[in-house]
Amino acid sequence: MAKVDITVEVCGMAGDGTIAAGGMINEAMSLGGYYVLGFDSYPAEIRGFGRCVTHSRIGSEEISALQDKTHVLISLNDVQSRSRAPFLQENGMVFFDSNPASYVTEEESLAAVLKTGVKLYGMPFSDLATQAAGSPRGRNLSALGGFAAVCGIDPDLFRQVISNKFESKGPRVLDMNLKSFDAGHEYALENFSHRLVGLFKGLEVEKGEKKVMLSGNSAIGKGAVDAGLKLYFGYPITPATPIMEYLAKALPPRGGQVVQMEDEIASIGAVLGASYAGARSMTATSGPGFALMTELITHGVMAEIPAVILDAQRGGPSTGLPTKTEQSDLQAAVFGGPGDSARIVIAPTNVSECYKFTVKSFQLAERYQTPVIVLTDFFLDNRVENVHPPHSTEQELQRLSVTPDSSKQGDYKRYEDTPDGISPRALPGMKGFNFVATGLEHSQYGAPDYSPENHQKMSAKRHRKIESALRDLFKPEEFFDDSEVDLGVIGWGSTFGSVLEATQEARRKGLKVSALKITSIYPYHAREIRAFMNKCKMILIPELNFEGHLANLIGHLHNSDVFRLNLVTGSPIPPSVIVSEIERLISGGVK
Amino acid sequence: MSAERFVIIGNGPAGNEAAEILREKSPRSRVTIFGKESIRSYKPHLLPDVIAGKVDQENIFMKPDSYFREKDIQLRLGQRVKHVDFNKRQVLLEHREVVSFDGLIIATGGKPRIPEPLEVFEDVMLTLKTAFDAQLWVDRLSKTDSVLIIGGDLTSLSLTRALINLGKKVFFIVNAESFWPLPFNERLSTEIQARLCEKGVEVLNSRTVRRLTQLSDTSVEVETDCEKIRVGVVGAFFGLVPDVKFLVRSGLDIDRGILVDENLQTRFANVYAAGDCAQVYNPVIKDYWVSIGYENARTLGRIAALNMLGEMLSVKSSPESIFSLNGVKVNTSWWMEF
Repeated sequence: MAKVDITVEVCGMAGDGTIAAGGMINEAMSLGGYYVLGFDSYPAEIRGFGRCVTHSRIGSEEISALQDKTHVLISLNDVQSRSRAPFLQENGMVFFDSNPASYVTEEESLAAVLKTGVKLYGMPFSDLATQAAGSPRGRNLSALGGFAAVCGIDPDLFRQVISNKFESKGPRVLDMNLKSFDAGHEYALENFSHRLVGLFKGLEVEKGEKKVMLSGNSAIGKGAVDAGLKLYFGYPITPATPIMEYLAKALPPRGGQVVQMEDEIASIGAVLGASYAGARSMTATSGPGFALMTELITHGVMAEIPAVILDAQRGGPSTGLPTKTEQSDLQAAVFGGPGDSARIVIAPTNVSECYKFTVKSFQLAERYQTPVIVLTDFFLDNRVENVHPPHSTEQELQRLSVTPDSSKQGDYKRYEDTPDGISPRALPGMKGFNFVATGLEHSQYGAPDYSPENHQKMSAKRHRKIESALRDLFKPEEFFDDSEVDLGVIGWGSTFGSVLEATQEARRKGLKVSALKITSIYPYHAREIRAFMNKCKMILIPELNFEGHLANLIGHLHNSDVFRLNLVTGSPIPPSVIVSEIERLISGGVK
Repeated sequence: MSAERFVIIGNGPAGNEAAEILREKSPRSRVTIFGKESIRSYKPHLLPDVIAGKVDQENIFMKPDSYFREKDIQLRLGQRVKHVDFNKRQVLLEHREVVSFDGLIIATGGKPRIPEPLEVFEDVMLTLKTAFDAQLWVDRLSKTDSVLIIGGDLTSLSLTRALINLGKKVFFIVNAESFWPLPFNERLSTEIQARLCEKGVEVLNSRTVRRLTQLSDTSVEVETDCEKIRVGVVGAFFGLVPDVKFLVRSGLDIDRGILVDENLQTRFANVYAAGDCAQVYNPVIKDYWVSIGYENARTLGRIAALNMLGEMLSVKSSPESIFSLNGVKVNTSWWMEF
């Protein structure tokens, strides 16, 4: 069967049902056995007008990134969709409302800005929905019906998804939506009979465990629940809020609680308090909220209290670009805050890892008694992938708390200077132990001690502890494993998906390239990273930030300067952009 | 004139030729072609070869997509013009978009003509004007072995040749009206019938089709004035009529086609018509004539474009080349070849 790799976009104004339509495409294609990666972009304003776009990349093989070319554009608002026209493939397809409520000028028309070769499928979306269901509200479903008919998608997949989505709203609402879909489907079959393209016909559905559509944020929520999270403290902020929403539903039935705090400072304070008392707790925020938390995070470092903090990065600095993606909190996550406050920072690269890393973060926090920061980004948080239902093994869920044995009773050193820096931690209520949590520099017993010798020794202990965490952290993963490489590309976070696809494409072109995935940001596996770098003549690190945060952190490991590709466009880096940079560097176009 | 925005309705040879001239002579202007078909312009005379499988459908196009991008000619395909408001100088598209113009060339060409007595059977008969029609023929022929052709225009003869090559059984009813606007005379009719018979075509004596009944996807019952047969497909070939119905209430002067002067201008300033949709005034014969054929269309498209840019070219057609038939004056580029 021919390889399928199709990108579908739905574009409309807030309120057009754009996001819902895109979600149904993802669900339907997932049911049909395809790999799906979906991502929505929407306006920063909480209410009102603005452009919504959903991107769905649908493939017969595993997908790691979004592409920068669209094959199918479904326009629910032509004025808004004009901005998507440049991204259409030369032979792309456009579904649009051919009978809008009023005449539009050429300056407002989508059809007026399409490149020659793009195929137009005009359908009276609103009329079809109104005639079929008595209301134009289902016009997005009529559009989906047309899309399914023309592209050769089994309509029952969509009917199933529509049923799942609207069943709870009662038979009348479900019927209206099904009728709207069917009206669009029938219209397209009748009117475009000679223009059906069958983009998606003939895929065998994978047998075995059924995949589920999961967003990065949902995966984080599920990971936290599975890890035994008891208390979530947070303050809403894009793009982290869906984690709190997920947990608000999922946690109480498991005996946990979600508490909305007055701000991010209170949130991290509450997390430290709960963790101090022995309860697994976490918070999630974004750049601006993370900035507020930094002082108390360093308190967690100094007092050696476990804490899980998820930083869902977005465009910055300050309020920045609330609904755009960026990877510009890395330096703040690793270095932010007063003093030498080393902490653990990890960064998943896909939805499955969002789950896995969240589970892991609780183990790390408890074993190393320190804040663990999980760095995600808007694209990773909000994208959906169809994945096998995530689950953890007993070992992965095991608590790794290091507690003192009874022999220490009466002479308990809360901050004992051990070889790996990990001091057995007594929880409040344990008989015969003292319980301190101080932000002041302290002795091994926890008493304030500002002497030069002690500060030197305890600083070394805390940093030794963080370094020792390397044994439990995910090692860098090298793809392709060649002995000689002209250019090695290193990626982290959601950008790694683009790095992987770009290197795969470059290799298909015969270029000697390889890829390295780094998920443990701090501490990092210097030896492994250096080994990779040393077999590569050149190193390229693409990042969604302006300053080259990862390159700044690990660039010194290479024997010459690393090359950087830094974009802050608010969108994921398309693999094609990285491929171009690879070709430029390898062909000697280095300045 | 120094119009900035030129709009061409019609993506055939006249429209494309006009666009090329406008782009060449007026590099800074905006040129837009509206075509109701979803594919770019192609060579319609190759359609019978597509049906015969001799030519791939990908190879019938006149120009690649890249040509239009390179020339900065906006080609808006699958976008049908519904109306033109000549006073506001606006084109109204079927999908409710309004496009203003400074200069307009109407080059909508022709559409298959079905004589009135057969109109009621329109859905049962295939024609062959567009690539879509050709695809329909291909689809239908894949399921049947026999075809009845009614008519007798040039397209039908090319198609018949293709059908014979495909090994299909072909029946033919030669109709006097088929070469509209040229009627068959006895000599022509006899000659065509003889040629068809030589090729193995069964020419029916019938002259009138009384009833067509679609029995199934692969069977049509044909009842004529003297016999009843069953075939897989029926094709109707009675020439073309100007495709100008959408302009009937626009204020343009329309007879069979759009009436234009010898410079191809309509009664509205900077509005021209060219190709099969135009009826051109000839001051020598003091009458209008219609133009048929690929080369004529290109010539008229070129003249319309040049005149819109300020030239005052007249269409060169000597009175001798204009036939007068049934009260209609006709100039054809291919007539002599036939």
